[in-house]
Amino acid sequence: METTANGILPMKRNKVFLFFLDHIIEVCLLVLIIGLAIGAEGFMSWANWMNILRANSLKGVIAMGMTMVMVAHLIDLSIGSIVGLSGVIVAVVCRDMSARGMDLDIACVLGMFLCLLMAFGIGSMHTYFEHKFRLPSFIVTLVSMGLFLGLAGRLSGGFPIANQFPEWYNALGGGRIGGQNGIPIPVIVLLISFVVVWFIMGKTTTGRATYAVGGNPESARLSGINVAKTKRVAFIVVQIMAVISGFMTSGQVMSGTFTFGKSWEMDVIAAVVVGGASFDGGIGTVWGTLVGVIFIGVIGNGMTLLNIDVHTQYIVKAVVMFLAVLLTSYRTRIKL
Amino acid sequence: MSEIQIRTENITKIYPGTRALDNVSLSFVNDKVNALVGKNGSGKSTLVKILAGAIKPTSGEFFLNDEKLHFDSTSDAYAKGIVSVYQEMSLIPGLSVAENIFMGRLPKKNYQIDWRKTFNMAEELLNQMKVSIDPHTLVYRLPMWQMQVVEIVKALSFRPKMIMLDEPTSALAQNEVHSLFNAIRALRDQGVIVIYITHKLQELPQISDTVTVLRDGKSVGVVNTKEVSHKEIIHMMFGEVKIQSRPKNIKISNECVLEVKDFSSTGWFKDVSFNLHRGEVLGIAGMLGSGRTELLRSIFGVDQVDKGELIVEGNPYHNLNPIKMVKAGLGLTPENRKTQGLILMHSIRDNLTYASMNLTADGWIENTRKRNQFAERQVKDLQIMTSNIGNRCDTLSGGNQQKVVVGNWLNTDPKIMLYDEPSRGIDVSAKQQIFEIMWEQARKGVSTIFVSSELEELLEVCHRILIMRHGRIVDEVDPDKVSVNELYEMCMRGD
Repeated sequence: METTANGILPMKRNKVFLFFLDHIIEVCLLVLIIGLAIGAEGFMSWANWMNILRANSLKGVIAMGMTMVMVAHLIDLSIGSIVGLSGVIVAVVCRDMSARGMDLDIACVLGMFLCLLMAFGIGSMHTYFEHKFRLPSFIVTLVSMGLFLGLAGRLSGGFPIANQFPEWYNALGGGRIGGQNGIPIPVIVLLISFVVVWFIMGKTTTGRATYAVGGNPESARLSGINVAKTKRVAFIVVQIMAVISGFMTSGQVMSGTFTFGKSWEMDVIAAVVVGGASFDGGIGTVWGTLVGVIFIGVIGNGMTLLNIDVHTQYIVKAVVMFLAVLLTSYRTRIKL
Repeated sequence: MSEIQIRTENITKIYPGTRALDNVSLSFVNDKVNALVGKNGSGKSTLVKILAGAIKPTSGEFFLNDEKLHFDSTSDAYAKGIVSVYQEMSLIPGLSVAENIFMGRLPKKNYQIDWRKTFNMAEELLNQMKVSIDPHTLVYRLPMWQMQVVEIVKALSFRPKMIMLDEPTSALAQNEVHSLFNAIRALRDQGVIVIYITHKLQELPQISDTVTVLRDGKSVGVVNTKEVSHKEIIHMMFGEVKIQSRPKNIKISNECVLEVKDFSSTGWFKDVSFNLHRGEVLGIAGMLGSGRTELLRSIFGVDQVDKGELIVEGNPYHNLNPIKMVKAGLGLTPENRKTQGLILMHSIRDNLTYASMNLTADGWIENTRKRNQFAERQVKDLQIMTSNIGNRCDTLSGGNQQKVVVGNWLNTDPKIMLYDEPSRGIDVSAKQQIFEIMWEQARKGVSTIFVSSELEELLEVCHRILIMRHGRIVDEVDPDKVSVNELYEMCMRGD
């Protein structure tokens, strides 16, 4: 009996410990929410929560796609520029085509369609250079970041292109469903993109291939997995997410501005990493990323409610991210 | 030049379950290149590790001249002038030759690196080795053999009494080997004890003065290279080997399932052609560097061939890649299971079902239940020892990991299985289980190509053995009619 107890108990404890470790971000978030609910006035109000979600959904949508990219052990730094560029493209198409007599709604749809087409093109191009030429995705997309920021600037002439969109397009970023206190549309888009990427990652062969490719590309290739195709899907998904985020961002301020989205890539990557994805690929979930997005949003909102100055907020966020990465690296080294 | 000598007295090293070294008493002297040979598992690397201070003997002592040596670490061995040069390169590719040689010990003047002195010292050492390498060259620009020479020069810069070289030619081309040998002779002529570990017997007459043979952890003898023939050395290495017999109830049909025609890949193999029949276990015997691994990889489409045709069940295949070959019914368990066969951080279940992903899913939607079934089936059939298939793959022992690699492929219902060194680094019982799996599959009509440098294994497992040497299939033998010694001789023969 003694030996059985000795043999099994630590194992059980170990499993509980591992479960706790696997869900440490959720636990932290819960603790944080409880703390703020008690300490910060107005935190638990519906309006404040919708505010938190809306403010973070624009980057959150991209973080869903970025999870896929990072699980595949890739990175996409160009997303910020794509956010700006897609807003500019839609604005330019709306302005120029309606000036030539095209119906504004049709022109806007055409612009959006072009952006989505561009997402496919850029994602495929990234895959091509990363896979065929064995260039690091960091470098390939760093080049894209500069390239597309510049192109967006040229296309827009360096100025915001304001008041060109139809009403429904503006609503994509600024509208709510259910009246003034309803759910903001970007939040709904965030949830939809979460479900879509969650489905791809968890329920399809492509998703499993993504984990395999990120875990060990050589083993994946030798198992007959189509590595190039898997990378392409991840690169295209994140680009589509960036374009959608660009629609919402430009709609929200009713203007296509090329600097929208600039330097978002670091915030997006931070959310994915806080959510538990490994920088070395092969590990990570969209659920984790969703929690990561909300976590970062709640910290920022809480600190604002508590009148903590913006500089201190940066420090706190940096420390939180550092701790999250520390935990992730610790967790991925634990074996059962 | 005074004589120096390293001597071991009754060194024994016991690992759980095996005696790696058993009362080994040997001596090596300077002014000679002392070759140390023995088949895999004979204990030669254990002996080297003990002398280099990497591990401690269970019992026994060793002496440098008359001083008793006791090492707690490799740096203790360095301090006594005993250094070893391993097969794996320890050089930093982006730094110059001189910087690599004096890594961590660069001469300084006024708190700054004295570059002039660094390069002069490096030049002097390189001259001693009679090679013309510019010490300013960045290491990644050097050919392979010169990198080996730089490794040796780095060791030499410690002014050692003894240098151990562990298979330094294994990654070299034929012409490079001669250049390296010149450098090794130069090393010997400086009065250093040189221990040269190799499995390439044809090198012995060219480079070594004495040959020390280990077998099953025992010293079999020390001979003068000039006075022995290949045959005698092989006999010393293997002794009398009893080969376990394979089951006789495996029927090979005449139907040809795989035809390899004129496969050529520059630098690796040339004009390789053979047939594989249904239910046959075909062995390819060859030493490291004979091109056997590259041949298997090319058949599976991992590497591209320059020329050649592959016919699987009557259908010709071109521009091979693994995706195509899996569809054609092939499977490959690669040489290195950790870096090529498995995704160690993922679960046993995942690793058992990566290759069969399209079979376990309904279209492109995952079917978790079916995937579990597939994984559980292999765990049961292959007796993979685990309490939970959700556990990470790196929690398994080497043998069980290898079974996962095999199970990953059996889940695809393969027609042809390619095994590259499946028994490397796994224990005897796991090895036997892997062989049982091969036979079991053969009975079901699966054809197998089995590559191994353990020739006894090939004799035990295969129906037919091809001999591969310097990238060519040079012979075909019936395992019932050939001894291990003969087979070894065939693989080693230099031509």
